[in-house]
Amino acid sequence: MPPARPERSRAQISLRRRVRRILLLASIACLVPAGVSYVSAMSEKHNVGLGVSSVEWLRQNGGGALVSQIETWYYTLTAPEKGGPALSSLPQVGVKAARGSGRPGSQPGYRPPRVRPIIHPALPGEGVWKPAAAGAGPQPPVLLTTFRSDPEYPQFVAGVAWIDSSRTQLSYVPGLAEPPPPLAHRGPSEIPGARRKEVVATFNGGFPLETSNAGLIYRGRVKEAMVDGIATIVEYRDGRVDVVRWHQGPSAPANVWFAKQNLPPIIYEGSLNPNLSDGPEWGETVNNAVRVWRSGLGIDRRGNLIYAAANYQTVESLAKILQRAGAVRALELDINEDWTSFISYRKPGAIDPSNLLPDMLRPASRYLTPDERDFFAVYLRQGEGW
Amino acid sequence: MILPREISSAAAARRSLLADLLVAIALTLLALQLAAGVGVVGLVALVVLIALATSIAVEAAMRRRSRRKGA
Repeated sequence: MPPARPERSRAQISLRRRVRRILLLASIACLVPAGVSYVSAMSEKHNVGLGVSSVEWLRQNGGGALVSQIETWYYTLTAPEKGGPALSSLPQVGVKAARGSGRPGSQPGYRPPRVRPIIHPALPGEGVWKPAAAGAGPQPPVLLTTFRSDPEYPQFVAGVAWIDSSRTQLSYVPGLAEPPPPLAHRGPSEIPGARRKEVVATFNGGFPLETSNAGLIYRGRVKEAMVDGIATIVEYRDGRVDVVRWHQGPSAPANVWFAKQNLPPIIYEGSLNPNLSDGPEWGETVNNAVRVWRSGLGIDRRGNLIYAAANYQTVESLAKILQRAGAVRALELDINEDWTSFISYRKPGAIDPSNLLPDMLRPASRYLTPDERDFFAVYLRQGEGW
Repeated sequence: MILPREISSAAAARRSLLADLLVAIALTLLALQLAAGVGVVGLVALVVLIALATSIAVEAAMRRRSRRKGA
């Protein structure tokens, strides 16, 4: 018998083993730089769990599309069903309105109208604004309310905050890791100790620059080139804030102190963006129609800020919540339960912090310790007292 | 340099290991160059490593079973 067949068989096995050996060596070699990057990222300061930090590391290192796709599948599979039993009460937000504790002789100023309930009969306190802090006087700087936002899902509750721009000053606070280094004057990544007596609220700062593909101006300097057409929270050097569609090119105009961009506007000049469905302009994130924790920031006709957040929202339903609360221009901020936070402080000195909604995952003390993500802090203006 | 034609089986194994190592390094560099980031490269490498480890373990188990049957 010629020995050809056994030799060929041995040669085939050998080739298979060599291919396997090459793949094994290549995999080990690939894991070295990935492991170094992962370990160095995980050994940095964090205030979220290892799982969330690992996903964020993967997102920042080329895995954004993969993570978003997996999240989209997960949230689609776990999407809530329509209907269900009606709620009998809403979560309590804010404090009882107190009289006479404001500045002596001050006149009550503008207060937004009640948010008209969508589902009838309305629940007690639904859409009624309440002061976020005790002793805030006749013109509280931050008002809070909740309402059921979708008749098809009567158990969904949206939390909304109204911020009086005439009494407050908005401040952009960089996080430990976002915006990424280098960044001059990063600061403590928490509410600075010297400003805690003035802080009345804090809220999440929007997508990381890498996933929003948008720009940032910090302390009058461009950190990331601004992108025309993108929704932008702007604070001017005179302290005025606005939510605008950016049209001033990539560099920092002289009158801008900070500007943070995040995706296209979801409400513009009173109307919902007609293209709230998916597209590359909505960044590297989960599908816009996926129901997940979402948050957004808008501005009313008088220039006051309106923040909204709720679980199980699409981009469109979030936009409708902000519009119902009075926003005429608005943008989406962070999504997912790990990043959505609105915290009000019931007493001066950042004492007695309280989440806007009780089912917000992150603790109300989130911004009293360094946070990896950037956020906004709302301070009382100089001369304004509790 | 002229390599000797008659070499021991150990030397042949060393040469093939060196060749495989060079190919693996080339593949690694290519992957790092083409991928969107080191995270994706690491994740794919981890999956490949787990698949290879599984295939090696399955093969070893089958070999052991066939040896036992042969005995």
